[in-house]
Amino acid sequence: MRQSSPRSFPRKPRVLGRRIWAPVLAIGLVVITAACQQVQVAPETARSADVTSALIGDRTIREGGDLVMALSAEPDRLDPTTSSSLYTRYVMQTICQKLFDIDASGAVVPQLATALPTTSADGLTVTIPVMAGAVFADGTPFNADAVKQTIERGLTLAGSSRRSELGPITAVNALDATTVEITYSRPFAPLTAALADRAGMIMSPTALASAGAGFGDNPVCVGPFKFAERVPQTSITVERDPLYYDAGNVHLDRITYRIISDSNIRAANLRSGDVQIADTISTQDIGALSQEPGIGILQVGSLGYQAVTFNVGNTAGVGSPVGTIDTPLATSKAIRQAFSMSVDRQALVSSVFSNYADVACSPISPSSPYSTPASEACPAFDPVAARAMLVDSGVTIPFPVTMQVSNSPDTIRFAQALQASVAASGFELSISPIEYSTLLDVQTRGDFASLQLGWSGRVDPHGNMFNFLSTGGGNNYSGYSNPAVDALLTEASQTTDVPARAELYGKAITIVQEDNPVVYLYRQRSLTAYSTQIAGVETFADGVVHLSGAAFVEAK
Amino acid sequence: MPRYLLTRLWQSAITLILASIVVFVGVRQLPGDAALAMAGEEASPERLAEIRMQLGLDQPLVGQYATFVGNMLRGDFGASTRTGTPVTELVAATLPVTLWLAAYALIVAIFVGVMLGVLAERFRGRWPEWIANGLALIGLSVPNFWLGILAILYLAVTLRLFPASGYTPMGQDPLGSIRSLTLPAIILGTSLAAVIMRQTRASMIETMKTDYVRTARAKGLGSGRVLFRYGLRNSLIVVVTIVGLQLGGLISGAVVTERIFALPGFGKLTLDAVFTRDYPVIQAVVLIITVGYILINLAVDVLYSVINPRIRVGGGS
Repeated sequence: MRQSSPRSFPRKPRVLGRRIWAPVLAIGLVVITAACQQVQVAPETARSADVTSALIGDRTIREGGDLVMALSAEPDRLDPTTSSSLYTRYVMQTICQKLFDIDASGAVVPQLATALPTTSADGLTVTIPVMAGAVFADGTPFNADAVKQTIERGLTLAGSSRRSELGPITAVNALDATTVEITYSRPFAPLTAALADRAGMIMSPTALASAGAGFGDNPVCVGPFKFAERVPQTSITVERDPLYYDAGNVHLDRITYRIISDSNIRAANLRSGDVQIADTISTQDIGALSQEPGIGILQVGSLGYQAVTFNVGNTAGVGSPVGTIDTPLATSKAIRQAFSMSVDRQALVSSVFSNYADVACSPISPSSPYSTPASEACPAFDPVAARAMLVDSGVTIPFPVTMQVSNSPDTIRFAQALQASVAASGFELSISPIEYSTLLDVQTRGDFASLQLGWSGRVDPHGNMFNFLSTGGGNNYSGYSNPAVDALLTEASQTTDVPARAELYGKAITIVQEDNPVVYLYRQRSLTAYSTQIAGVETFADGVVHLSGAAFVEAK
Repeated sequence: MPRYLLTRLWQSAITLILASIVVFVGVRQLPGDAALAMAGEEASPERLAEIRMQLGLDQPLVGQYATFVGNMLRGDFGASTRTGTPVTELVAATLPVTLWLAAYALIVAIFVGVMLGVLAERFRGRWPEWIANGLALIGLSVPNFWLGILAILYLAVTLRLFPASGYTPMGQDPLGSIRSLTLPAIILGTSLAAVIMRQTRASMIETMKTDYVRTARAKGLGSGRVLFRYGLRNSLIVVVTIVGLQLGGLISGAVVTERIFALPGFGKLTLDAVFTRDYPVIQAVVLIITVGYILINLAVDVLYSVINPRIRVGGGS
């Protein structure tokens, strides 16, 4: 009836017209909104400076309160012996103190130990003095025997991730209540750095005896906070430990680590006040966040690196004998060197990460005490020479290279920029994005020509080099083998003198930069955003956010 | 009837066994394994071998399956390889969150969808219909994750009306629970609301042309009464059918919504388990979903046979 009425009939075309405008308007709005996104291109020379702490200073502390930190990934089991997740370190840092820690300069300093270890002349005996008077959260006294039990657990527990970090230990002895002696079959210099990480987190012998392998369900250590609750998939809560030896300098009642995996959502939660601190802020968000009132930023260069790994001999999986790969990319050092020279690292860091990353040319961070001019040397960016080198190698230009990368947006953006950078030198880089666990599998099996992955980094260069670059190393994904490098890395691991070790690592890096099984590209910066309602937060080169001394403070 | 029921139960058991084999073998065919995911960047051949031995992944597949089935029959689904939490605990903690979210989203979708559909029919060819159509178009075409981020930015960050993320259990604080799930439920229910709006509008247009509506009008009933009592009531049959068909989509849509709002639900549990190759969790989650489907189908089949006894013939009597 309505359609045939003389009034409604002429209105139909008009209605249709307006119906078309509605979606057009909606699409237009979407396009305009997208076009308004800020594009940040930082000047190439600007390098972000480290800001490692938000000090309390003269601000008035409000004692107590519950702090919420947004964590970008869920920690694994809270067991220092078996854990392999960086995010577990965030939580453990507040509840499980270590024999040693690192400070803002990246140097190892005593924590539950009272001094740095002393090593015998033959390098086989290490003596560590430990604190007297401290107690674990369950009231068990802390002493040398507890240290002995923790280290022995790291060596013997099935599934321990600490065994290789501790080196070839033959015996651990508690000489008295405050002295531990560790004996080695051969000198092992990286021990102190290992004890500044999870291997050095001392666990309560009482809790170990009662919980055994289930220690991670209710960890008990010495720390300013003690474990309170874990809600799977959601959060981990720790609360102030009144038995802590320095309880007077602990200000918060509780810290809740809430798992929020999306970086945009972490930033939004910080803005809304639902969390007071958030880790791993995206380089896309950090510029805007740093301009906002009430939000502060901590940033520090990483000890790790991001790199392109070329498969030069990994034919049967990591750990298998080195094989032969008969491709120009695998056999020709010159082609890989040309690739390294064709990468404009500074431009990539500026354009992709707005300078919230650092150029990397070696596995040793410039902030490390083991950094030397040799380890900081960078291949010159020279696309013309790189192209000439590629031509001289006798391959057809453009020379195709397939690179597998993880499918995270930041990684893909970087890979695309890298693709553009190396194109000028005659490389035709194909990007193959795959899911992270699959990429790890591909890397381990050696099923790749090249791939882009990173390493979170260790305080001691041994952890960043030996397993990756020595023949048959557990993380030698490229299948690289060079006896000269093997000899240098082995000698460095047995040398206790820091300058002498640094020189050995520098020599090894010079050879690696000629062979280029791994082309180092950049180091991520640990970017942490916090509400200025809190202070006393620190983050150092190991990337862990320290909240032990944090407090809510009065507004300035 | 008992024989029919026995046959259906037997068929269901076969389905469950087949599903358990498929999921067991399927997850092990994914590139990478639980050991690699657990070891992460610290994966060395020795460490991987040790973890595989600990998890029993070095055993033959048949042996692993037999252990899995044996444990499952004793009610032991194992523990998460990543966190060590028993799988039953994980499921018990996450399933209610997703069911509550889906129910809330459904209520929002039905309320908004039906109201807009009625409005669009009532004001055909006028601005309320254009607005309703525009909203439906946006609801259908804008992806949930983008809408979710916008909602967080404007409703949580700027206006501070709702929390930006997190979940408060109903038992702990009922009002807080509703508040924590309001934004996710609106976002999750948006596309379903759009579908319901379009179906309601289309169905209402048809219904309002029918003879009984004309008769009701001729009898002098008020327009509101005709619209809601005769028009809407009869149109709801189609809406109910659509809602039934879309329920599965609502549950699967919860995966994205839970991730955006950091809700500890079943969807997030599943997704995280797949990314970390957490075999015990993936197996348990898939089997629980399978059992759910089997039970619903079984209940429906049995109900059909009660309503219409001829269906039993197909059951072999």
